[in-house]
Amino acid sequence: MGNNTVNTIMKDNMTTNNVVNTTTNTVTNTQRNSILSVKDLHVSFSTYGGTVNAVRGVSFDLKHGETLAIVGESGSGKSVSSKAVMGLLSKNASIPSGEIHYDGSNLLKLTDKEFSKIRGSKISMIFQDPMLSLNPVMKVGKQITEMLFLSGKIKKKDAIAKAAQLMKAVGIEDAEKRFHQYPFQFSGGMRQRIVIACALAGEPEILICDEPTTALDVSVQAQILDLISDIQKKRNLSVIFITHDLGVVAGIADRIAVMYAGKIVEIGTCDEIFYDPRHPYTIKLLAAMPDMDMDGSEELISIPGAPPDMLYPPKGDAFAARNDQALKIDFEKEPPMFPISETHFAATWLLHPYAPKVELPPSLQKRINKAKTESKKG
Amino acid sequence: MFKYITQRILLMILTLFIILVMTYFLVQSVPGGPFADPTIKPAVRAVLNRRYHLDQPIWMQFLQYLKGLSHLDFGVSIKVQPQADVFKMIAARFPVTIQLNLLSNLVILPVGFILGILAALKKNSIVDHSIQIMVVVFISVPSFVLAALLQYIFAYKLGWFPITFSTARHMNLEKLLSMVLPVLALSFGGIAYIARYLRDELSEVLNSDFMLLARAKGLTMRQAVVRHALRNALFPLVGMILGIFITVLSGSIVVENVFAIPGTGRLSLAAISSNDYPLVMANVLLYTAIGLFARLILDLAYGLIDPRVTVGGGKNAE
Amino acid sequence: MPNNNLDDYLKAANLSREDFAFVEAGQIQADRIPDTPPIGFFRDAMRRFGRNKASVLSLAVVVLIAFFAIVGPFMDSFTYRQQNVKWDKLPPRVPYLEKLGIFNGTAVLTVQKANIETDYKIGYIKTIREHNIKANGLDVPMADIVVDMYKLKGADDVYFWLGSDGLGRDLWTRLWRGARISLAMAFLAVFLNALIGVIYGAISAYYGKNTDLFMQRVIEIIGSIPLLPLLILFIIKFGTGIVPIVLALCITGWIGMANLIRSQFYRYKGREYVLAAQTMGVRDRRVIFRHILPNAIGPAITQTAISIPEFIMAESMLAYLGLGIQAPEASVGVLLSEGQQVLFSAPHLLLFPAIIISLLMLCFNLISGGLRDAFDPAQRG
Repeated sequence: MGNNTVNTIMKDNMTTNNVVNTTTNTVTNTQRNSILSVKDLHVSFSTYGGTVNAVRGVSFDLKHGETLAIVGESGSGKSVSSKAVMGLLSKNASIPSGEIHYDGSNLLKLTDKEFSKIRGSKISMIFQDPMLSLNPVMKVGKQITEMLFLSGKIKKKDAIAKAAQLMKAVGIEDAEKRFHQYPFQFSGGMRQRIVIACALAGEPEILICDEPTTALDVSVQAQILDLISDIQKKRNLSVIFITHDLGVVAGIADRIAVMYAGKIVEIGTCDEIFYDPRHPYTIKLLAAMPDMDMDGSEELISIPGAPPDMLYPPKGDAFAARNDQALKIDFEKEPPMFPISETHFAATWLLHPYAPKVELPPSLQKRINKAKTESKKG
Repeated sequence: MFKYITQRILLMILTLFIILVMTYFLVQSVPGGPFADPTIKPAVRAVLNRRYHLDQPIWMQFLQYLKGLSHLDFGVSIKVQPQADVFKMIAARFPVTIQLNLLSNLVILPVGFILGILAALKKNSIVDHSIQIMVVVFISVPSFVLAALLQYIFAYKLGWFPITFSTARHMNLEKLLSMVLPVLALSFGGIAYIARYLRDELSEVLNSDFMLLARAKGLTMRQAVVRHALRNALFPLVGMILGIFITVLSGSIVVENVFAIPGTGRLSLAAISSNDYPLVMANVLLYTAIGLFARLILDLAYGLIDPRVTVGGGKNAE
Repeated sequence: MPNNNLDDYLKAANLSREDFAFVEAGQIQADRIPDTPPIGFFRDAMRRFGRNKASVLSLAVVVLIAFFAIVGPFMDSFTYRQQNVKWDKLPPRVPYLEKLGIFNGTAVLTVQKANIETDYKIGYIKTIREHNIKANGLDVPMADIVVDMYKLKGADDVYFWLGSDGLGRDLWTRLWRGARISLAMAFLAVFLNALIGVIYGAISAYYGKNTDLFMQRVIEIIGSIPLLPLLILFIIKFGTGIVPIVLALCITGWIGMANLIRSQFYRYKGREYVLAAQTMGVRDRRVIFRHILPNAIGPAITQTAISIPEFIMAESMLAYLGLGIQAPEASVGVLLSEGQQVLFSAPHLLLFPAIIISLLMLCFNLISGGLRDAFDPAQRG
């Protein structure tokens, strides 16, 4: 299993990066301006079986220059939310309510033509599978510079130079030769670099990464993650990073939003989520991650059951059915977002003053304590 | 590349030869023969058979036939147009068939194209549904039924078009009008095939990730459709065009009969129903050669337009 | 996301401490098995097929046609071969319906005006239009008249529901009998071709290597012979009975199925679960029949359904070219071919068979479309 590598990365970052985070984030996160803000977004799909409520009231702000990770299992609505931000939902999708504010306008009110002026040049996106997201019968160079050429930003003869520059920026050697090759002549990791180059060509402010490493080999994953955070720093991008893998997030996110069944159940800085998780789902997710220091005596916690069928969203807290410490009210009323700190919110009834105290699973508690002491020492 | 083409052509000739042998012996073994008519006196029949070498052993006849073929001598017609040179007979009729075929393709391609693209872009709308219904109806009504219905309604009842094909040497209005119904009868099936194919293919491509990336880069829907989706959906269409050419070719055997069009289709039918061996052979060879040639062109064409296919090898592994 | 209305929400919720009790473990539903019984692939597909209205309607129409093909010929007093040359080419006439002005056995004829009183006196009903035509330099007065053809031909009490043909045979009886034969031939051909195709494809893919190469070469050669001339030759050689025609349809008809089975085979041959079965020592035959072939059932059924209209079409095309089943039997194609010859004087002889064959083609196409969607695993879920 490749998990070990990921975990090392994760662990390293928990110990080193987050030290930086704790000092800088608390200051900057509250002061930075929002570049993008999503308010009470609902997305539903009309399907053969009925209406699927994929996203049910998601709100978040993306701040200038930060990386916001959205974590959740498949079907939690994380990809759908990001596609809504890009205006790239499929035809059977509808947005019954919600707002997406960028640069003073509500993106949901734009026509496709107006939106296309924002896509690529303001907000760009890369996708999960680089095998599928490049046009198989178009030269990669052309795919990278296509939009620049179409919008009249560059002349045809400058395209090669521009593409070469972008390809170099994403770590592709021998760019002049590679310009004329087709996607099938590249490896998976190389293709994802090309995809990133495509996304960067318009020099966007926001980059949405939809599980950009999921389809790649573990060794390549780390390279692409490095590339993304490198580019983010160099270009001062704001990044929305979507993943189902908390381990990947640890290394690169400033803030984390955890999604479940079409809602954000907890959002906070990287430290807050990793060291002070409050929502049962977040807690279980963290506890379910294997750890290098685990000895054989500890059992890895797994979350029973499967996410709910979004054709019929459950009443109350959607996670209650899989939670062995669910409260009665979890099945009846939807929990509101309780504030924990300036930056940390969680939608769970456990934060209500009436709620009984729930202990973290011992293995997780142990891990958190250890990480905290290490970071103090470091 | 050159080696591959030579290989393919050699293979094609081999296939053609096998078919030639099969057809030859099949035709020869049909009971009766050209002079089976009981009113012909036995003595006359013997003379006739001798004249056309039908009295010799079959393999001798075959060898002689092959010898003729080597310098494009396909023999002479026995019954349809006695003593006429088969090659010349076909040469005189083939242009008519090809002309109708090309005209049909000129109708099929743009119409099928537009309908298919429209249906894919407006998928699951009323436009799509009506096109889908049209496609199923076009595919379902046999071309000969369609030909007869068109002939009855538009030529006989309404009198808008001539009932039969005009044999005027030069193109004039009457000849053009007389072509309308046969071309329509030949076109409906092809239109339906292209439209259905393009709709399925295009709607698949429209849902692909690279369309998402293209739009994420900032291309408008229209730009993305034209530059990415259409381009990709059109690759396999090259194959469809040749397929449609062949389908129209065999469809014209019937349609030529309905409208009394002097083409190779009608000639084949006449040859077959009168056991005119040399004529049957030549027609079968003609149709087979066209079919094989079309396939060869197709394979080569794919190699030229689709970068993933290297001629001589298979598709590159993804 | 700070929830400004948090306090309001909590107030409105009106919560008590009891609400915050832990739920007993028994009530947790996470790993509960769904109540619905498991649905097999086949039943699931059938259920999906049932939801496709066009396909179900088509199936109903096909069943109806099949029903008439069985009992239709016995519904009136004529037999399919009973000739009455005096009553030739009579238009359709149906009791009761005739009072509504349709199917009343009348026809519009264009005749010389002078002949109305003599030749058409018996059945004459009315004149629609009068006009002159030039013949031999003279103006001949003509008239379009409505004539009761049944009276005219002395068949007052006779009802040919769909009219009669050139030999005075009842089209209703012949049409349904023809539909019966067409359907029977198509189904027989489909069955044989499916059988040949499955066996051929399975052998070709299972043995692979040179066997496969050779068998594919054979398919390529057979497939590249133009079909129609081949069919025609075959039928001329072996005659025009049901068996030769069905066999002729088997020359190339199985190629589609063989290719499909072969590709399915190759697709699943290398799958991990097949390799796993082989590693665990499952015998080859069991691997083929239990692990590989079932994957091909859906596409194979669809392929079969697609080929039904193709065979109906091919058969009627042959018949149309005069190579159909021999008189006095008739298939729909034979009727079409007969109708074509008298198209202008008795259009009903072409129209009714044309409707039946178009309906059959349409319905089978819609059914196969519905089956394809129902069996498409990509849509499952």
